Amino acid sequence: MKLSKICASLAMCCAAVTFAASANAADEAKRLTGGGSNIMYIITPSHSNPFFKTEAEVAAATAEKLGYTVKMVSHDDSPVKQSELFETAISDKAAAIICDNAGADATVAAVKRAYDNNIPTFLIDREINEQGIAIAQIVANNYQGAKGVAEVFVEAMEEEGKYAELFGIDSDTNAQTRSTAFHEVIDQYPDMELVSVQTANWDQNLGYQKMETILQSHPDLKGVISGNDNMAVGAAAAAKAAGKKLFIVAVDGSNDARDQILSGDMTATAMQPAALIAQMAVEQADQYLKTGSTGKPEKQLIDCEIITIDNAKNLNNFTLSK
Amino acid sequence: MNKNDLIMTLLKGRTLIVLSLLVIFFSFAADSFFTAQSLLLVAKHVALYGILGIGMTYVLVTGGIDLSVGAVVGVAGMVSGYLINQGLTMFGYTIYFDVPTVVIIAVAIGVIIGAVNGIIITKFAVAPFIVTLGMMYIARGIANLISNGATFPNLVGKEALGNTGFEIFGRDIAGFPVAVIILIVIAVIAAVILRKTPFGWHILAIGGNQRAAQLSGVHVDKDKLLVYMFSGGCSAIVGIIATSQLVASHPMTGNTWEMNAIAAAVLGGTSLMGGVGTIVGTVIGAFIIGVISDGMVMCGVSEFWQMIIKGLVIVLAVIVDQYQRDLQAKMALQARNENK
Repeated sequence: MKLSKICASLAMCCAAVTFAASANAADEAKRLTGGGSNIMYIITPSHSNPFFKTEAEVAAATAEKLGYTVKMVSHDDSPVKQSELFETAISDKAAAIICDNAGADATVAAVKRAYDNNIPTFLIDREINEQGIAIAQIVANNYQGAKGVAEVFVEAMEEEGKYAELFGIDSDTNAQTRSTAFHEVIDQYPDMELVSVQTANWDQNLGYQKMETILQSHPDLKGVISGNDNMAVGAAAAAKAAGKKLFIVAVDGSNDARDQILSGDMTATAMQPAALIAQMAVEQADQYLKTGSTGKPEKQLIDCEIITIDNAKNLNNFTLSK
Repeated sequence: MNKNDLIMTLLKGRTLIVLSLLVIFFSFAADSFFTAQSLLLVAKHVALYGILGIGMTYVLVTGGIDLSVGAVVGVAGMVSGYLINQGLTMFGYTIYFDVPTVVIIAVAIGVIIGAVNGIIITKFAVAPFIVTLGMMYIARGIANLISNGATFPNLVGKEALGNTGFEIFGRDIAGFPVAVIILIVIAVIAAVILRKTPFGWHILAIGGNQRAAQLSGVHVDKDKLLVYMFSGGCSAIVGIIATSQLVASHPMTGNTWEMNAIAAAVLGGTSLMGGVGTIVGTVIGAFIIGVISDGMVMCGVSEFWQMIIKGLVIVLAVIVDQYQRDLQAKMALQARNENK
């Protein structure tokens, strides 16, 4: 009876089943004690993107508060550079590595090398395609976030009209996940018509250019769904330059998007709790080094917050104040 | 005169002096820097840019440039990944090659891309900058097309297919990184060819004065073609090493690495005008870049400062280079006057 109850609750969310399985795997894994120093490496993409800057800075602040020496470095989305940074961290005898990785497959070898050298890795923001070598993989629930903004989008569009989609980098799983979630909601409404899908590489300039082109061929466009805030902000600028008012939604939750929402040029975004995730990763790293367990499953999904005009003013650096 | 001699000696050894100073500086700035493990690690990271830089040095001394090297790195990596994970399907059969064959095919493709560059540059007299810029886009496109932008994961091969062992190029043999061994072998061969063989003298002569070289009987077109093929081959080798280190091939691998290769050559005293350059200089140049970037990571310097410092070092190196050349010309003139 009790067992069937547990099963039923697990079945509600298929991801949870994966969690339970990976939790068991983590229990069996050997305990990593760190390289010997109290240095924590925080490896992220370039800080020129505010999302990664916040993530790195929050992680650094949390680690310093816990008494670690912090080295913040950037892999610039190059798996080769990332692998070099992991090696540097290993030879620097790092206690732990916090990493927002440069590719789900291309990162596996680097994390494995840290594991073999007794250094625990905590992945944030993006997963890798292998379990049991990172101690934790804490990521935002992109699926839930994208679904949330898609609902706001449909409501703003009054369930009808032409819209375009700006897609992220094709090979990035986040781009795929977000797009799927958007369409799961929007495709239920037959009067919503998708007129153009363009890849804009997560990039603001490209978002602007692609939007200009789309508006040329579809002057009656009513809305845009965008894989991230950068492309959405670019699209909003293009719409403004063309003297159009569009409903634009995205995922990320940057301060740029917040300002666009406050000025009415964007409709909504889903805030990925970058600050919370970074903080959790460092705290779990600390706990793991001290006790040998994080007390959590390896894969952890953290829900996004939907940001609209109602709560946008409370958003700052990927943290929503109450 | 004595003062000038001293300055001249210092200037000639400047790259080595700068490198030593950097190593000393970082040894004090970061505790874990001056250890055998860390220095080998730096050498391993340097190997990638060093090998690219050696190929680039050959091209630069002829007065050319090869902007496609980073993209060829990507192509070679993707070809290796494709052959190991998917095999080659022909006439309904799928062939899996063993690792040495995969390496030979990947290097051959790099050499062929270099040959295409060389043929267009010599036969159609298009500026090397333009040809290799075009090739940079083409090769990067090909690298992405091979997998449609995806990554080939887990390139360990299968025992049953007999293609295991690709990881070796990214690993250590008896504690010594394979990449560094490859760098040393290529550097020694390239240095001997450049300094001790007629081919080496010819390409230096082409860069010094192409017309004069041609009139003295140098096969300018053939030599230039060989130089671009060599650069393509070096790039492919780097692609194999980088892919092997990651045990995965990513289509954007090597993006903008041509700039590091040029920087390494220029730091080592190679002239972008052609005619001047040494392999030893380029390898030292690559080490300067490697020591700066790894050292700054170990010191925890922000990435933005890293860029600024790297840029400053490159520009300063060229300023000193120019100063040396002026001084050399002045001294030669003085010596001639005294002889009279």
